[in-house]
Amino acid sequence: MDARRISVVLAMVVMYIAVPLLLGSNLYVMSLLVASIAIGGVALAWALLGNLGGMVSFGHAAFFGVGSYVSALLTMKLGVPVFAAMLLGGVGAAVASIAMLPTLRLKGPYFALAILAYAQIFRILATEWKSVTGGSGGLSSIPRLPEIAGFDFGSKIGNYLVIVSIVLIFALIYQRIRASHYGTALRAMHDSEDATRVVGVNSTLLKAMMLFVSAFMTGVIGAFNAHYINFLEPDYGFSGLWSTLPIVAAIFGGYRTILGPVIGAVFVYLVDQLVFKSFIPSGHQIMLGALLAGMVLFSPTGLLPWIVEKFKRSRNAPA
Amino acid sequence: MLQLENVTVRFGGVTAVDNLTLSIGASEVTGLVGPNGAGKTTLFNAISGLVRPGAGRIVFNAVDVLNAPVYRRARLGLGRTFQVPQPLSRLTVRENLLVAQRFGTGSVNASRLDEILDFVGLTEKAGRDASSELALSELKALEVGKALATNPKLLLLDEVLAGLETTGKRRFMQMLKDMHAKFGVGILIIEHDIETISNLCKRVVVLNFGELIADGAPDEVFRDAEVIKSYTGAEHA
Repeated sequence: MDARRISVVLAMVVMYIAVPLLLGSNLYVMSLLVASIAIGGVALAWALLGNLGGMVSFGHAAFFGVGSYVSALLTMKLGVPVFAAMLLGGVGAAVASIAMLPTLRLKGPYFALAILAYAQIFRILATEWKSVTGGSGGLSSIPRLPEIAGFDFGSKIGNYLVIVSIVLIFALIYQRIRASHYGTALRAMHDSEDATRVVGVNSTLLKAMMLFVSAFMTGVIGAFNAHYINFLEPDYGFSGLWSTLPIVAAIFGGYRTILGPVIGAVFVYLVDQLVFKSFIPSGHQIMLGALLAGMVLFSPTGLLPWIVEKFKRSRNAPA
Repeated sequence: MLQLENVTVRFGGVTAVDNLTLSIGASEVTGLVGPNGAGKTTLFNAISGLVRPGAGRIVFNAVDVLNAPVYRRARLGLGRTFQVPQPLSRLTVRENLLVAQRFGTGSVNASRLDEILDFVGLTEKAGRDASSELALSELKALEVGKALATNPKLLLLDEVLAGLETTGKRRFMQMLKDMHAKFGVGILIIEHDIETISNLCKRVVVLNFGELIADGAPDEVFRDAEVIKSYTGAEHA
């Protein structure tokens, strides 16, 4: 078995066995882990759009919010089973992203600003469409994750296992897309879009596909979050934090890698909640800014590439 | 194979291509010449779809492609290279050709890719980063290789020999001749060097200020008084 496989098996053992066994009884730490991995999932979806689609989004809160509302409403009003509703939440977010297709003509900061505006439009819609969304009062008593075959997915360990599995599946999907011919063409499109178009690449379609996939992933995580916290209001579901935190996490962890954004989210969130918050209970986020600035200056490619580089150097170092 | 009917391209108040009507036959090797600013590259951009003409028709293999997007024209068999090479960045040389073949033809044929790599002389550089590890002549060869990988019926070559030293230019010119013979592809080539054009092409088309001013065999065209005037600004003695 090569080193890569061994590290994958070890990571799986840690995630699926060690963490639940060692930390499962500590509800506070488990809730921090669940929140950080959820942010990591959004960061991964954000990085997919940026890394493959070449688009920097400040509007992922829109997909997160739409996914959470669609799933919550489907379970509450139509009695759709929670896991099916979560998938449909992702589909809802992907459908919502169709409204953003005109922004694909824009590039750089113009795209970022336009998609930010879309996020605000969805928040206003959720606030004003009171008959469906409950308006600013929000939705409460959203069904928790169910119990299946005697295992309670709504427990802290159950929630943890579900979000870990969702994010791992998304990472796998990301990896498959990146390794495909589509991924190769997408990588090429960033700096040479005309050159890809003249060899037959439909760049607009590929970018739209990445927008759909990224929106779907973010929507599913938003849906998970709604069933995890059992409450939803527009200012929370469409909060700008769902756009900015994943960006910070992805850049910190290494947005050009697949797992960097997830590792970045777990690291940043845990350090923020467990360390910074204890020193500066109010306004501790300022430390996050300093941490990100430090990482960008110290290792612009992010934490994961830095770790990998260090590991390679230590292995190649003469004995 | 390619018919341009009354094609006009304007950029604001400047008419870059003016009411141009031109026909290029299958498997022809045609030179497109003219002084700087004559509209040659703009015409290539209009044919390949990067620029949309304000008026006229562009028909390729009996398909009206005027409103067709760039990628569809490529899939129909319109290949092109750029004057300043544009390798697909972040990819290796082989991946450049792979993307072109996969999306230009709809499938991947590894042995055909190897054949093209060999033909353009990049087999040994196949694993190199295309945007940072190639010399100019290799970048030019990659431009041609990418276009060939899309299996074109007509190849638009934009100053593909520019910047090459004499030996490299001769070698490249031979490659273009061989390409025409081996792949049966038609070529429309922009080139400033009269000797190159005379050597490669049986037909030359001359543009000046976006207008067609001459069309014929190289030795006739290069003796044409209006063509000489367009280059020198003076009447031929």
